[in-house]
Amino acid sequence: MRLLLLFGIALLICLAIQTTAPLWLPVRALVPNLVVILAVDLGLRHHGVLPAAMAFGMGYAVDVFSGTHVGLNALFLTMVYLLTYEVSSRLMMTNAMVGAVAVFLGAMVTGASPAGVGLATGASGELQALIPALLVQAAVSAALAPLVFSILARLKRAIGLRAKAERE
Amino acid sequence: MKRTLLWRYRVVITCGALMIVSLHMLSTRLGPNAVESWSTAILFEALRPFQSSVTRLGEGGIGLVHDYLDLVNVHRENQKLRLELARVKTEKTHLAELEAENHRLAELLELRQALNLSAVAANVIGADATGVSRTLILGQGTDTGIKPGMAVVSVQGVVGKIIAASAHASRVLLIDDHNSALDAFDQRSRARGIVAGVVDDGLIMKYVGRTDDVKAGDSVITSGLDGTFPRGLLIGSVKGVGRDAPGLFLNVSIKPAVDFRRLEQVLVITQTLPQPPSGKKAKS
Repeated sequence: MRLLLLFGIALLICLAIQTTAPLWLPVRALVPNLVVILAVDLGLRHHGVLPAAMAFGMGYAVDVFSGTHVGLNALFLTMVYLLTYEVSSRLMMTNAMVGAVAVFLGAMVTGASPAGVGLATGASGELQALIPALLVQAAVSAALAPLVFSILARLKRAIGLRAKAERE
Repeated sequence: MKRTLLWRYRVVITCGALMIVSLHMLSTRLGPNAVESWSTAILFEALRPFQSSVTRLGEGGIGLVHDYLDLVNVHRENQKLRLELARVKTEKTHLAELEAENHRLAELLELRQALNLSAVAANVIGADATGVSRTLILGQGTDTGIKPGMAVVSVQGVVGKIIAASAHASRVLLIDDHNSALDAFDQRSRARGIVAGVVDDGLIMKYVGRTDDVKAGDSVITSGLDGTFPRGLLIGSVKGVGRDAPGLFLNVSIKPAVDFRRLEQVLVITQTLPQPPSGKKAKS
């Protein structure tokens, strides 16, 4: 319940930042994908049915504020959670670097997905042209990931949750 | 044994089930249709106060930051005077902002009168959460009569279409999003086509015949045949016409009349437009 509450509030803050920052920043690509960082944190440190459902819920919340394909971010954030969970289950230890790499890849995949679906359903344009902007956004997200992980760890400790991975 | 296996793979099984649910949602609600539901309304309402506050803070914040930087390292004797000056400057910035807002609203009012349709003004309070799709969040919703499917315009031209609305907030699909399309024609030659967004940025006009007379600089306006946008609204101007590629149609790129990044206030047309004959209804 505490985990749900913490990530619920974190999600609202991240969505508020992600939807208002583009109005003030000169380059849209500089706005990090903070929700992916939350999903990766869940995948790295919280293994269970509830965290998986939370990743799906976070994706659905992003779908409400982005694009027109409801379910797309839900699908990809669940996938990011599952892959991070699998990686985390197989590694002896997970640190911020592993998390940052996962965030980078997750941000690239979730960023490219609306365009990919758009192209598959008949939209014009080229996916390659989006790659520089996606790389910048993924890099900014990855650079911020250790800071977000650290803030989340402090908050988890403050409310009595385990900040390290709960391995099965 | 079965129970143990289920327990061991519970995360994978849950994720798999959730991904199937996501795919089901995608397949049943694909396309630029209304993403309206109770969950959408709750999230819109939850974020709206924060988005509105940040937008307001940002408007005044730039002036305040400049004033603060000006005041760093001032002499003590002048501090009081400079603070007074800063206050006046802030007030001036605030007044200038109010004047600019007043000017924009007056322009919107003129536009509303020119359109001769019922419409409501709305503030832009947020942008798309991921950036690849192009949507905006407005600070007005169904309480002011806004509903999904309504046209959104600005003084410069066509902005987009409402795709979701809650009581106090709504979301606009911009015309340069790759899921957006509207019926349009070249104002000079009357050549018709569908203006659609491009995945990697910009606008194109599709299905313009190779024999049609379209030139760079021509204005492209709405045809009114899609039942969403009134006829004659400016979409943009022709940036280039590609005739080299093979095919039945020209490759027409459009420069949007509206700078979507600088939008602060828009007009939502709340009056239902007469529907075109079903045979000519265009994708929008």
